[in-house]
Amino acid sequence: MATVALRAPRTHRQKEIRRHVLIYLGLIPFLVIAVFPIFWMAITAIKQDSDLYLMGANPFWFHLPPTWKNFDILFRQTSYGDWIVNTIAVAFWVSAITLAVGVPAGYALARLRLPFAENLGIGIFMTYLVPAIILFLPLARVVSRLQLQDSWWAMVVIYPTITIPFCTWLLMGFFKTVPLELEEAAMLDGCGQAGALVRVVLPVSWPGLITAVIFSFTLSMQDFLYALAFVSVSDQKPVPLGVATELIRGDIYFWGSLMAGALLVGVPVAIVYNLFLDKFIAGITGAAIK
Amino acid sequence: MGKVTASASPKQNGLLAEVLSGRAERLRWTRTPTARRYLFGYTLLAPAVLYVTLLVGAPFVFSLYLAMSDATVGDPVARFVGLENFRAAVETSVFYTAVRNTLVFTVGAGILKGLLGTTLAFLLVQPFKGRKFVRALVVIPFTLPVAVSVLGWKWMFDSQFSVINWALSRLHLIGAYGSPDWPVWLGQPALALASVMFVNVWRGFPFGAIVLLAGMTSVPPEIIEAAKVDGANFLQRFRMVIVPMIAPILFIGTAFDTVFTLSDLSIVYLLTNGGPDGATEILPTLAYNTGIRGGALGRGAAISLFLFPLLLPAMILLLRTLRRRQY
Amino acid sequence: MSDLDSIETDHSASRRRFLTVTGAGVAGASLLSMFDARQAPAQIKGTSLRMLIWSHYVPAYDVWFDDFTKKWGEKNGVNVRVDHIPHLELPARYAAEFAAGAGHDLMYFAGQILTGHYYKNLIDLSDLADGLGKKYGGWLESAKSAAQVGGRWYAIPDYFISIPVLYRKDLFASVGLGEPKSWEDLRNAARQLKPKGHPAGMQFSHCNDANHNWRGLMYCFGAKETDASGQNIAIDSKEMREALKFSKAMYEEGMTAEVFSWDDASDNRYLASGVACWIHDAISAYHSTRVTNPKVFEQTFVLPEVAGPAGLKWNVGEPNVWAVWKFSKNVPAAKEFIQALADSQKEAMQASLGYNMPFLKDQYKKPMPYLGNDPKLSTLQEQAQITAFFGFPGPMTPAAQEVLTTFIIPDMFTRVAREGDIEGTMKWGVGEIRRIYAKHKAT
Repeated sequence: MATVALRAPRTHRQKEIRRHVLIYLGLIPFLVIAVFPIFWMAITAIKQDSDLYLMGANPFWFHLPPTWKNFDILFRQTSYGDWIVNTIAVAFWVSAITLAVGVPAGYALARLRLPFAENLGIGIFMTYLVPAIILFLPLARVVSRLQLQDSWWAMVVIYPTITIPFCTWLLMGFFKTVPLELEEAAMLDGCGQAGALVRVVLPVSWPGLITAVIFSFTLSMQDFLYALAFVSVSDQKPVPLGVATELIRGDIYFWGSLMAGALLVGVPVAIVYNLFLDKFIAGITGAAIK
Repeated sequence: MGKVTASASPKQNGLLAEVLSGRAERLRWTRTPTARRYLFGYTLLAPAVLYVTLLVGAPFVFSLYLAMSDATVGDPVARFVGLENFRAAVETSVFYTAVRNTLVFTVGAGILKGLLGTTLAFLLVQPFKGRKFVRALVVIPFTLPVAVSVLGWKWMFDSQFSVINWALSRLHLIGAYGSPDWPVWLGQPALALASVMFVNVWRGFPFGAIVLLAGMTSVPPEIIEAAKVDGANFLQRFRMVIVPMIAPILFIGTAFDTVFTLSDLSIVYLLTNGGPDGATEILPTLAYNTGIRGGALGRGAAISLFLFPLLLPAMILLLRTLRRRQY
Repeated sequence: MSDLDSIETDHSASRRRFLTVTGAGVAGASLLSMFDARQAPAQIKGTSLRMLIWSHYVPAYDVWFDDFTKKWGEKNGVNVRVDHIPHLELPARYAAEFAAGAGHDLMYFAGQILTGHYYKNLIDLSDLADGLGKKYGGWLESAKSAAQVGGRWYAIPDYFISIPVLYRKDLFASVGLGEPKSWEDLRNAARQLKPKGHPAGMQFSHCNDANHNWRGLMYCFGAKETDASGQNIAIDSKEMREALKFSKAMYEEGMTAEVFSWDDASDNRYLASGVACWIHDAISAYHSTRVTNPKVFEQTFVLPEVAGPAGLKWNVGEPNVWAVWKFSKNVPAAKEFIQALADSQKEAMQASLGYNMPFLKDQYKKPMPYLGNDPKLSTLQEQAQITAFFGFPGPMTPAAQEVLTTFIIPDMFTRVAREGDIEGTMKWGVGEIRRIYAKHKAT
């Protein structure tokens, strides 16, 4: 009997260790695929140019000493600082507009049992089937009418067309998970429907709001074509456009600076993402249960 | 209900009284809770609908018009030609290649994203040390701007300096540079299509995993416990309990991702621009090269809208089914 | 390791110094020349001018150009702004500007000639063109194809870029070969050097260089895209089949499968890595090798072009032209600027390190700037005589442009190199080209 009592804890720990090892083994391929390109990009960002062209040298480490020159090029010879500010400003305003427009729309579709709501919802979704490579032409006209050509405000006006449909659907899903009783209680207290929305539903569904913001941010950082069509002035460009148009000159790619430029904007976003990831998961969770 | 106001003047003829009384009915109705709800609802919807109609709907009608005219970039107000552009597109063999590649790309990448995403979600749902750190790492492919991460892959697939080939040849899985089994990722037709698909999957599967993970952790533990008590093993629990609960979000996520992938030209444009000899040509790149860079706007519009008549009914069906399952 | 250090630092420092010195020196020279040049009319003082041009493949040129523009603006009281974007993205940007009815005053077609697309909305610049022609000995015949529609000038040619042969003299000598004179010589050299680890390379892919390289080979073999009017297709010929057959043999004997994945920069890298025995590329590759691999640079020599089997020599270049939108708000300043730049062509050529080839005959007086002073490049001074552009011998029409942007010619060569079916490829390629021309005729 004493033997059994002594063995039990060790077996449990053994099981735990074995479980951990299996999980780590399973994760390795995923981590390699997801992360090794990032690691390579990071090393390239501080490599000298001629180090890249040495055939046979280990690309994951340095043959020639590392250098900050690529960052120097990025910040001194291009308007990268402006690009980052523009990108963040655009993403901020686009998220604000998306929320301002998507929250009411999502709520209306979720709660108010309107006729045609279903078709409107589908119609909003359909906008993604319209090809951007044609859309950018009439939108360029809109931008020029609004006198926003060559300003990053042009993107603030246009990007919500990409973010609003998806975020409306998303928010609609979240709002449906809010228990009706909460709203009814608020309305009984004399809130009115609008009041119920503001005072009860919004506070409770803030994971959903954060999710919508994260999506807006990501979607507004991905675009290239609209930015190309609307902005040609260097200090008004967002990062993707700036990096692709000014760090590539025909047959010369400034690889180091390109990678540095990508990481400087991608990694902070990933960190912020991770901070919100738990809330984000809770947000998607809410949408899933409906 | 109030009194019918028209009865106050009995001298009016019967028809007017009817009309007036009808109008009063409607007026009364506008004060009902239902009407107020409709008004409130449509007001809330108005900004979104306006935004989308003006900035997407109207341009969409314009692009339909373009697709049915012989417009060029310098002359967008041109003659109506009906379905001529569509017929012209169907005549060229590169169009069929593009359609085939588009479907293979979208479906193949979608399946891979689903499989890899599910497996990763499985792993991430287990509690283990360092889980938060791992989650943070796998999100990075998604947060890097597409244009630049694709350029990084361009170098990683380079025919001379490919990092992948370097690593594989160090591991003696392939020969050295110059030998016949040194893969030219973007040069051999099947490999090229696989490579562009891979980049799409690389960007998309971590995000899919996170979404799935959210769904899986959202299932109330009581239900899982109940299933466990009923003797269901892990796979059965997954199929019978978890999948039905996360199906809606899976559907929506897949639907949106499919639509995004179908119209995305950046990966192919930056890696191969449709080459070699159309091996990676997809409808968006064909439309762009014909319509915008080649100037034949009408035909470019027709090519890019080609899948629309197929996708529209498919999407409607999908969304209707989804909504029905919700109720 | 430390040796590599010092060499690398030396070169990067010297590159920067090189660029700055060249830029400063040339800027100084252009400043002096501008003080001699005519004063612009007062009406443009106080106005603003916005121009969009491409990112030049030789960075030093953009440095000079931006400086030139600034000084011109200051001297004439015009507020000038110059925007650069890669040349392949220019068409999308112009389509957007035209759709918007607003944009830059002065714009640039680089390689992708859109004069035929937009001429109804471009200012007629015939008086400016005639003036420049009179002043500088006349325009090259090929200039008209890029800039004229119906006999009127809707664009002003600036310069063209040639895409010559760059070869490794030392590698050629190691197998007993001298300077190559024909495509057959190039094929021979590649065949002998590939087993020694030094294949040649030309892109068989969807990139800009592929479009121009293969056309060069085609025209050297006597194949034509259209007749001289540009209306009728002439590609279905024995010569075209010869060209295709030759390219397949050249690929199999002397190149590797890498070339199917190449983009515009891959052949530069191939040369710089020391592997390539020859490439067919613009001299920006020559200049960048000076920095990235000086040993290779020493042994790299330049030839204007090599001849086809019948002795025909055609080099396919890329023309660059200026144009002005009708909705531009500052046409006078735009015209003045074009005039001022044309008057400074010599400085421009020098700043471009010989990359820019002029369209005006007087500029070919020897010694030409930069080219005349570099013994390796001096043969390029004759380049204009053998230069053709896409659509040859017809003009650069919208139909020819669409054939260009849909990569039909590179695809034909790729298909033959891969599968070897010449007749099938001809049938496909000719069919596609015919369809495109038919649609443009219908308009």
